[in-house]
Amino acid sequence: MLNRREIAINKLKGLGAQIIEDVSSRKVPSVKVPSRGTSNLVYDDEKRYYVLGDRYGRRSLGNVKQIKKIAQMVYTANFCKDLIKTNKTATLRELYYISESWDKVDFGDQQESNIVGEDLEVTLGMSREDLGLMPEEDGASVYGNIIIKEDDVEINALKSGKSGYTISPTIDDTEFIDHDVQRVIAVETMGMFHRLVQEKAYDKFDTLIVGLKGQAARATRRFLKRVNEELNLPVYICNDGDPWGFHIAMVIISGSAKLAHVNHDLATPDAKFLGVTASDIINYDLPTDPLKDIDVLRLKELLKDPRYRDEVWKTEIKKMLKIGKKAEQQSFSKYGLEYVVDTYLPEKLDAM
Amino acid sequence: MEREISLEKELSIEPVISAEREASELFEEFKELTASEFFRRNKQMLGFSGKIRSLTIVFHELITNSLDAAEEAGILPEIIIDLKRVDKDHYILYHKDNGPGIPEDFITKVYCTMFAGSKFRNIQSRGQQGLGCSGCVLLSQMTTGRPVKITSGHKVGDKLKGVEMTFKMDVKKNQGLILDKKEVEVDSTGVSIELHFKDVSYSLSEQGAFEYIRRTIIANPHAKIIFRDPTGHKFIFDRATDEIPPMPKEVLPHPKGVTADDLIFLAKHTDKRRFRSLLTSSLSRMSNKRIDEIEEITGIDFNKRPKDMKWEEAEKIVELFQSMNFMAPPTAGLIPIGEEQIEKGMREILEPEYVKTITRKPKTYKGGVSFVIEAGIAYGGKSGRVVGEQKKAEIMRFANRVPLTFDQGSCGITEALKSIDWKRYGIKDLENAPITVFANIVSTHVPYMSTGKQSVAPEEEILHEVRQATMKIARSLQKYLNAKRAAKEEAERSKIFETYVPLILREAALLAEEDAPEYHEVLAKVTRKSKILEDIHAK
Repeated sequence: MLNRREIAINKLKGLGAQIIEDVSSRKVPSVKVPSRGTSNLVYDDEKRYYVLGDRYGRRSLGNVKQIKKIAQMVYTANFCKDLIKTNKTATLRELYYISESWDKVDFGDQQESNIVGEDLEVTLGMSREDLGLMPEEDGASVYGNIIIKEDDVEINALKSGKSGYTISPTIDDTEFIDHDVQRVIAVETMGMFHRLVQEKAYDKFDTLIVGLKGQAARATRRFLKRVNEELNLPVYICNDGDPWGFHIAMVIISGSAKLAHVNHDLATPDAKFLGVTASDIINYDLPTDPLKDIDVLRLKELLKDPRYRDEVWKTEIKKMLKIGKKAEQQSFSKYGLEYVVDTYLPEKLDAM
Repeated sequence: MEREISLEKELSIEPVISAEREASELFEEFKELTASEFFRRNKQMLGFSGKIRSLTIVFHELITNSLDAAEEAGILPEIIIDLKRVDKDHYILYHKDNGPGIPEDFITKVYCTMFAGSKFRNIQSRGQQGLGCSGCVLLSQMTTGRPVKITSGHKVGDKLKGVEMTFKMDVKKNQGLILDKKEVEVDSTGVSIELHFKDVSYSLSEQGAFEYIRRTIIANPHAKIIFRDPTGHKFIFDRATDEIPPMPKEVLPHPKGVTADDLIFLAKHTDKRRFRSLLTSSLSRMSNKRIDEIEEITGIDFNKRPKDMKWEEAEKIVELFQSMNFMAPPTAGLIPIGEEQIEKGMREILEPEYVKTITRKPKTYKGGVSFVIEAGIAYGGKSGRVVGEQKKAEIMRFANRVPLTFDQGSCGITEALKSIDWKRYGIKDLENAPITVFANIVSTHVPYMSTGKQSVAPEEEILHEVRQATMKIARSLQKYLNAKRAAKEEAERSKIFETYVPLILREAALLAEEDAPEYHEVLAKVTRKSKILEDIHAK
């Protein structure tokens, strides 16, 4: 079986070959690019994440408005092929700067190069990490008993300092060597991450602790999916009790709309949301803040989103709207620093 | 004729100079006032108001005279003008034409007698009131006190006869005062005149003498003018055509175009025995049957002698004319410049990127005065006038080929042009477009707004015609501009393909790790070059 790298190189070559073939047979070449518009986003019930529909656009060499985009795609494809062949990666920012040397084909701004990168992803059906393009930011922090092999280096996430192992953008090049955990608990903030580490939650619950640092990076989501599927570990997500916390969890579970073309590599449909829920706010009598207008607006949007059509979600969203309050994870400190590990988490995990 | 009469009326309302004097005393003075004397006192009535305007009017009078003379003699007009500046405000103007020349006996009549040669003629003419040349002499004399020097050559049989004359104008007597006269050798026919002026100013503005010449050439592409300006720079405005325009024919006035005053004038100056025959022979579309109708309605005896016509009767007849149906006036007397000639004139002077002209069919205003509107539009090249760094649109107004450079704001032609919604013709901002709009009204009787004769009255029919004519050519311009834009886009489009196709195929071959294919056929397919502009130029 071909590895991801070989597949990527073949697909890139295929893109060039198709253009050459068209010209050789005296046709005006065109490239089929699946449409990424919202109208082409379909929520796949079976897969439980967003996928792209069947609609696509054609970029024709005979279209004056599209020809530069095709040029940029081909140049970028060559750049990616070289990256893969030489075993390197580049950030999207670097891609943007590299284009400065592409006479007449350079990108106007990074937004433009990011879009061409995504075009290439959807056209080839590969994620950009497969093409050697990496995001700027690192992924989440992982703490717990797992040994990961990056190139020739073996890393024990239990012995990587208090901040744990940082998920690299090249997570697909790593290998899971060994582990001794039962589950994975991901938390929204690094504050909560450190709390769990200090309270030895990894020990108490036989768990990996993942500090998401807000919206989960692609590498983080890829990591969560891999530990879930390759190591068969259940994944739990514990975020702030507000619409933003809900959605950070949901993107991990059901994928994002924007990256529908790579959701098959990123979504972890079996991941579970632990809280904080609106019910938690009531049951644990947590200190709260009132919902702001924008929170209310966002909650109402979530109600319409097919990813939230599960009854449990609907009930929780409606409940939060009703009480008009939100709460942060760290509000459990009201009952002492250990409370969240000693009381809250065991109760929630039991309920799952 | 109407103009002369109205001027005579103005004579009689010469303002009271001092209230202290007795009426009889004043009355005596009126009687002594000749036309020359009147205009000496009221030179603004000849258009001499303001330094720039005064000089432009001088140019106008002399050029107009030369053009008329040459055309009447069937000669292609060529005028040489030399303007020297002696001192601040003091200029010497030398003006020479190649017309038929003036016989010795008539020279002082032409240049020193007001209203000389003007008679009742219903004819399309450049000439204004027959005051022209004598007005210039008057201004020269008033501002410098210097005599005028003229050299004229004219043909007598096969021989050329030349005379050089120096004279002044005797204002009190409305005639010339010859100071010196001698026969000279000349090598061609024509008149040259040398005049001194003070209190005038040469300007390059829209109202100035230079612009007057430029516009004259546009409307008279058969004329050539060589002009040396006060800095010594020589401008040659060459003719764009060798066709001398046909002379306008005199046409009888239309009943709806005459006033009671006109009828009385006709009656006074006729040799007809009866009023009936006077009317049928002096007015167009006037038959005996019509006279019978009028006789029956008004009860006026049309068999009486013309001299017995009373003012009240004339008024009654004119009033009746207005309610009667007459055929439209004959238009044979109107000689427009013609689309082709205007285009030649505009091309010669403006060197435009695009020009379109139109001559409309004759129409009438006030029910009885026929006129023709001609219009032209030029885009690019030297079209428009340069203001600072920018090109602004300019409107060139003409009446019977004569440029109207003053009173633009009050002119009906301007009003009509400004009322056009230029945006509809692809011209977003007329003011700031490199466009020259030309408009000429041709008529036996142009309805001027004032004695300066620089603006046309906003008669409804005239406004309509100017609008229609201009809108029609503006549409052509719009088509041109659209095609030009399309061609430009097409060229840019081709350039994009020529840039990217080779690059893409080079990179695609690299990507596929194959050899780059021959791509010229595909390139030709996508780069379908435009023929739009070529088509336009072929036309």
